[in-house]
Amino acid sequence: MMTQGFTLWFTGLSGSGKTTLSREMEGVLLERGMKVELLDGDVVRTNLSKGLGFSKGDRDTNILRIGFVCNLLTRNDVVAIAAAISPYEEIRQKNRQLIGRYVEVYCKCPLDILEERDVKGLYKKARLGEIKNFTGVSDPYEEPSNPEVIVETDKETVEQCVAKITRTLELLGYIPVIGNGAEYSAEEEEEIKRRLKALGYI
Amino acid sequence: MLGFLRKPKKRICVIGLDGVPYSLLRVLAADGTMPAMAELCAQGHLQPMKVTLPEISAVSWTSFMTGAGPGTHGIFGFIDLKPGSKETRFPSFRDVQVPTLWDRLGQKSKKSVVINQPSTYPARPIQGVLVSGFVALDLRKAVFPARLLPDLKRLNYETDIDTQRAREDHDYLIQSLHSTLEGQRSLVDLLWDREEWDYFQVVTTGTDRVQHYLWNAIADTTHPYHTVVRQYYRAVDRFIAEIVERYRQKAGREQGLTGLFLLSDHGFTAIKREFNLNAWLRQEGYQRLEQATEPTLQNLSPDSRAFALDPSRIYFNRKDRFRDGCVETAEVGNLTEEMSSQLLALRNEGEPVVREVFRCADIYSGPCVPHGPDLIVLTYSGYDTKGNLVKNDLFTETDLQGMHTWDDAFFWAGESVDGDLMITDLATRFERFLS
Repeated sequence: MMTQGFTLWFTGLSGSGKTTLSREMEGVLLERGMKVELLDGDVVRTNLSKGLGFSKGDRDTNILRIGFVCNLLTRNDVVAIAAAISPYEEIRQKNRQLIGRYVEVYCKCPLDILEERDVKGLYKKARLGEIKNFTGVSDPYEEPSNPEVIVETDKETVEQCVAKITRTLELLGYIPVIGNGAEYSAEEEEEIKRRLKALGYI
Repeated sequence: MLGFLRKPKKRICVIGLDGVPYSLLRVLAADGTMPAMAELCAQGHLQPMKVTLPEISAVSWTSFMTGAGPGTHGIFGFIDLKPGSKETRFPSFRDVQVPTLWDRLGQKSKKSVVINQPSTYPARPIQGVLVSGFVALDLRKAVFPARLLPDLKRLNYETDIDTQRAREDHDYLIQSLHSTLEGQRSLVDLLWDREEWDYFQVVTTGTDRVQHYLWNAIADTTHPYHTVVRQYYRAVDRFIAEIVERYRQKAGREQGLTGLFLLSDHGFTAIKREFNLNAWLRQEGYQRLEQATEPTLQNLSPDSRAFALDPSRIYFNRKDRFRDGCVETAEVGNLTEEMSSQLLALRNEGEPVVREVFRCADIYSGPCVPHGPDLIVLTYSGYDTKGNLVKNDLFTETDLQGMHTWDDAFFWAGESVDGDLMITDLATRFERFLS
């Protein structure tokens, strides 16, 4: 089946689950027969954006470059997945406008929990002043105003987050529905029956 | 220096009162139960409205929101058949075949806030906010965008009451009607100024619920629930009054109430008897259930020529539609005539039961007509048509007190509408207003 491309853009603070979820979603989309390319912010900084720093200007350039590549992929019917902190709303909106078929996933997690997790030890270094311009600590992060999906990674499991994103993509008509195409599970059908019977509708 | 005077933005606000009949609303406005409604009647025009058949919320609200009939939008009931099969399924919002009013407004960059709209589950993206109503099962799937979910949880927002419990426990019914109305009020309060919108809509479904279970209590002053039911309508009236006041302020003096509209999706009346269509089909020899099997549509005898689905749909067991069908296409005309005349001649205790029998092709148009029933049965007031396969008596008693009607829904607007008003007319009217 021929499918159209789109961009799945993960935004959120460092350690909020963008890389994990983007890799999971890569698998889900490949299983559904889509052509997928993953652009991870950390990886992109070693090639496409090599040499750029963390000033506001450099950060914007980095995100716009990723957006540019995502747009090229999207218009060639590839699903582009971007996972980057992308802290500024204005720049995310620019990419949204450029790409069109754009789905934003906000990986939401409170800062205190991220600092507690601190898998890479970056928050500690930032607090000690060893890393400058660190988003959430010494640099701003602007929450998305209208993301298609919010995943609360301190409250939801990886599976729940993946299911939520997948569902949204199905509802948007961006990915094919798998299984028997039934809207409701057997359990849900029973609940609907119960409600309709109580009103005399069936 | 004089600046440029900016023309105020045109806005529409729609209040839906599920199942409230025109005739009842006039009474409640006149007798002081609904003073805000009385004021609106004095300032604008309350008029009866017809709805598409069958006159149930799943069909009516879909007709309202698409501005099209079932032959076009594809929803013929709360329950439908799987393609080519007699297995049943529950259609969802995904089965609606045409864009909704909010989809079309969104294409023109108009934003909508839609709260508790029945038959929009699971919620799908619109330009704005959509909170699905009945039969929404899981709040997480009933909300777009997802960012609203924490707000709804914080407000203890509930999409509906527990209908089964409400049928058995009327104290619970009354209490939960107020709590769901309060949830809707809180959500209106939250979204009215926070969200940007051109079109705002809220539907309250509690009115339908109370009328199903306690219709008789509305008029009967000796009914033990009379006072509390009237209090509920007063609460609904206050809800309307608050929204009207909000709208006045938001729309500005120039627009007045010209963009305010109220409607119901069908009327209501008292039930005398349930009329069991499948029992009638069996009695007249059109249907036979296989012995010793569970009574399901799949277990109908292969020589059954017809069956019914709730509430009033008759399907011929056509060879060109079902694998095990037995009715030839050439027979359909005669079968329609024969069955219609028999139904129209049917009497219960000397009174006629069926007012009209419609051929699907005569009342519907559009690409979905072949997926609809062959006939739709319209009964006289008080006979509630049912598709129950198990019951063998033609007419049965029920503990439900109210049933839907098709020609007594209401519409209120600042200006009157000439001629017969149909629920499918409204979407285009609203779009035109905002264009």
